[in-house]
Amino acid sequence: MRAARRLLRRLVNTAMRRQNDERLREEFEEHLALQTAENLRSGLPPLEARRQAVLKFGAVEGIKEEYRDQQGLLFLETMLQDTRHTLRRLRHAPAFTITTVLTLALGIGATTSIFTLVHAVLLKSLAVANPGELYRLGKEPRCCYENGYSQEKEFSMVSYDLYKYLRDNTTGFSELAAFPAIEPRFGVRRSGSSEAAQSYPGEFVSGNYFSMFGIRAYAGRVFTPDDDRADAPPAAVMSYRLWQQRYGSDPSVIGSVFNLDEKPFTVVGITPPGFFGDTLRSTPPDFFLPLTAEPLIESDADLNKVSLHWLDLIGRIRPGANPASIEAEMRVELKQWLRSHWGEMSADERAKFPEQTLFLSPGGAGIISMRAEYEHWLQILMTVSAFVLLIVCANVANLMLVRGMERRRQTSLSMALGAQAPRLVRQALTESILLSLSGGAAGLAIALAGTRLILHFAFPTVSGMPGIPISASPSMPVLLFAFGVSLLTGMAFGIAPAWMATRVDPIEALRGVSRSTARMGSLPRKTLVVFQAALSVILLSASGLLTTALHRLENQDLGLNQDRRTVVNIEPRLAGYRPEQLTLLYRRIHDSLSSIPGVSAVALCTYSPQNGNQWGGRVWVDGHPAPGPNDDNSAFWDRVTAGYFDAVGNPIVRGRGITEQDTSTSRHVAVINEAFARRFFKQQDPIGEHFGRSGMGASRQYEIVGIAKDIRNLTYNLDKPTDPFYFLPEAQHDVSPDAGFTEISPGSHFLHDVVMVTKPGASLALAQVRQAVASVDPNLPITALHTLREQVAAQFTQQRLIANLTSFFGALALILASIGVYGVMAYNVGSRTSEIGVRMALGANRSDVFALILRGALALISFGLLLGIPLALAAGRFLGSQLYGINQYDPMIIAMAILVLGSSALTAALIPAFRASSISPLQALRAD
Amino acid sequence: MALKTLDVLGPLHGYGIARRIEQISGDLLTVNQGTLYPVLLKLEQEGAIASAWGASENNRRARFYRLTRDGRKQLRAETRDWKQSAAIIGRFFAAKAEDLR
Repeated sequence: MRAARRLLRRLVNTAMRRQNDERLREEFEEHLALQTAENLRSGLPPLEARRQAVLKFGAVEGIKEEYRDQQGLLFLETMLQDTRHTLRRLRHAPAFTITTVLTLALGIGATTSIFTLVHAVLLKSLAVANPGELYRLGKEPRCCYENGYSQEKEFSMVSYDLYKYLRDNTTGFSELAAFPAIEPRFGVRRSGSSEAAQSYPGEFVSGNYFSMFGIRAYAGRVFTPDDDRADAPPAAVMSYRLWQQRYGSDPSVIGSVFNLDEKPFTVVGITPPGFFGDTLRSTPPDFFLPLTAEPLIESDADLNKVSLHWLDLIGRIRPGANPASIEAEMRVELKQWLRSHWGEMSADERAKFPEQTLFLSPGGAGIISMRAEYEHWLQILMTVSAFVLLIVCANVANLMLVRGMERRRQTSLSMALGAQAPRLVRQALTESILLSLSGGAAGLAIALAGTRLILHFAFPTVSGMPGIPISASPSMPVLLFAFGVSLLTGMAFGIAPAWMATRVDPIEALRGVSRSTARMGSLPRKTLVVFQAALSVILLSASGLLTTALHRLENQDLGLNQDRRTVVNIEPRLAGYRPEQLTLLYRRIHDSLSSIPGVSAVALCTYSPQNGNQWGGRVWVDGHPAPGPNDDNSAFWDRVTAGYFDAVGNPIVRGRGITEQDTSTSRHVAVINEAFARRFFKQQDPIGEHFGRSGMGASRQYEIVGIAKDIRNLTYNLDKPTDPFYFLPEAQHDVSPDAGFTEISPGSHFLHDVVMVTKPGASLALAQVRQAVASVDPNLPITALHTLREQVAAQFTQQRLIANLTSFFGALALILASIGVYGVMAYNVGSRTSEIGVRMALGANRSDVFALILRGALALISFGLLLGIPLALAAGRFLGSQLYGINQYDPMIIAMAILVLGSSALTAALIPAFRASSISPLQALRAD
Repeated sequence: MALKTLDVLGPLHGYGIARRIEQISGDLLTVNQGTLYPVLLKLEQEGAIASAWGASENNRRARFYRLTRDGRKQLRAETRDWKQSAAIIGRFFAAKAEDLR
């Protein structure tokens, strides 16, 4: 308490620069006067009386100093002094200051901007109450459907029936909420408005979803379990983003009716800003609907399918509950639920019953599919930017060392005059930390711009759609990170020079250092250059590898013809079409687009090649034994209209493609790709054979009429053999007898892509395309319009971003390393001027001197490059999966990196070498 | 000691305190009188004493120090502490004497 009061007083004194010197002087004076008077009284002569008084008082200056130290805070005062001193010194060296701050800003800015992403994607919790209490089902994120009564490794997705069973029987959760792993799009139109429907992402959630997260409505109300009953009036909750951006925060939105896929829903409330649902993704939901509303919207509803698992679970545990015991409880419940469905289980599933289990994992970050997807590339970028920061540190340390050398005389003089070594070190450190903090401040600005740019390129937003909920503006942890990094950087590059400064022998230095040939302190600087060169080799070879990989990805043979092809994305579902109306609609769209001059072919399909989406499922081949539990009998499929194979340039190698003759009444046919033939028919001729996709009993569903050449439809697995694929005519509807003669997967009839081929030399006006579609139905939304080439290129956005960023960092490293070499060599030449003068006076010619300097540089650089080779190999290993099959130890790329770095560093060394060879011996010897 | 002096004599200037300490100690403690001032400053910063300008015996401006309530409390606490430690040490010496006998 007393100490605190004292500290406060001293702090105030320091802050106010209160100096009571006058008071002290007066007190001393009075003290002496009184003592003198006393001495006089005891009989001493006046002069002696005064002398005795002063003697008795003690050393006045010493006491004054002690008094001053007591008065303020010594530590703080010297720090302020040092800071002022440093600022003054830096003002006198503007070139040095600006270079250093800019270099630091680049390094710290790059690191901070990558950290912003790392923080948002990998570290941050959901914006909900007490995220630490949340637990989700499953260890690995899984998507999107699991069928039956067994799941591989763990039961991580559940059906609505199983969800209700778990929710009602698990006691450890205060709330357990469910929502599907996939994110549907709804065609949205405000009731009574005449505008065309617009597509927004949405999510079905259980009634306790918001209360589980502890989320309150921003306006209106959120769902209660009452909204999630089959007989409840249809309600919806809108996102703050949509409410604000699209409806201008209009309060009348709450309570008004919106048509979602032509079904009326009343908006009851708005979510708070910052809440983006349960999963960080590039399109957070704009509409939340109760789970029980799913059958209202989806004609092929999943809600009441007991064995279709499509829901993710997140629950909030009761305070003090133990997640491990909840997990054990739920495992028992899972077994109980499975046992209650024993009758419906296949023999296979019964055999797998004992190994069925489930896991809980912390759910504070939500469903972390994005984390899994981006973790590796964020790690790469973080490592790369850390390397750049290290190079920056090395460079600045080098500058500081040179500066320290130049100040050697001043330092010597200070020490000779009695300055203490710790104080000198502190001054030097103050300087470096001050520099790094200002570098950090400038770096924050760079980071802000950099993050914006990266977000823009990594997650391009479509206008009107929600963007990824990652804010580029720095949050508290990011600010702390930048501050910490700046401080560490300052210490890292400051400590060596500061320590060097005190190792100066005052006498040696004052005697005239410039005559000496001993190059003191050149070792640390050389080490730094070697270190920089090695790091740069890593960065350059990494960027070389990534760029080569990208180049190979972009230029690989996908097997399809990308020239003169345009893809139009349409959403007939949003315009309220029903599956049975679609064939006619497609006919009209085909005719309308075909009539545009210059268009040679038009075809529609569920998804065109490299669209990014694809339907997939298991198939059963007629006459083949039923596949075992471990047999992979899955294949991808597509619904297409007549002329599709010509339109995408996919050649038919045998039989025929889909034609106008394949109508709803003709026999059901399919075209397969070569991979399908290889996988399922091996030596057998597939033409005329049958297969189905609804189980063993329906294996004569389709007759194979043709085989198409393998092309790359999928955007992934590009380094693996092509997957089996089959194509069905759009006009034919599958009716399965065991599903009660209802259509199976009617959703596949909603074709999303129209592929148009133009005649050579003809150009296609996009306005014409829009007009042609609008002439068929003005309400039919076109969601996107681009060339097939653009669609293919869009798949490599992330790879391109990593490659570009790494190349940028690599170039930065190259420049910094070259500057480093230049700095060291220039300084060497400068300090050896007189030595060179002597050499030349003794008969060395210019080329000797030139070679001398260059040899020094060459030795440094080659040492660094040699050191870099094993590190570059390690970097290739680290990049691993990002390289898509190219050799991660590609010697050509490493050789290129070394060549580029070596030549640019040598170029940097040429300038000082030339300067050295042009030294005039006479001047050099006369100087100083 | 400075506190006790102020407690006994009331408000006093620096010289007075120094003199008093000398007198009490019977000139056994002959430290430099000047060192008193940093101590006074520390006590003042801690709030144990307060100071104000006043007139000295020879009618000059002098800084007078007086004890505050906190200071009195501190003095009592320190007196008690000191007595306690003195008593303990005293007992040690006494015990030693008995053992020797």
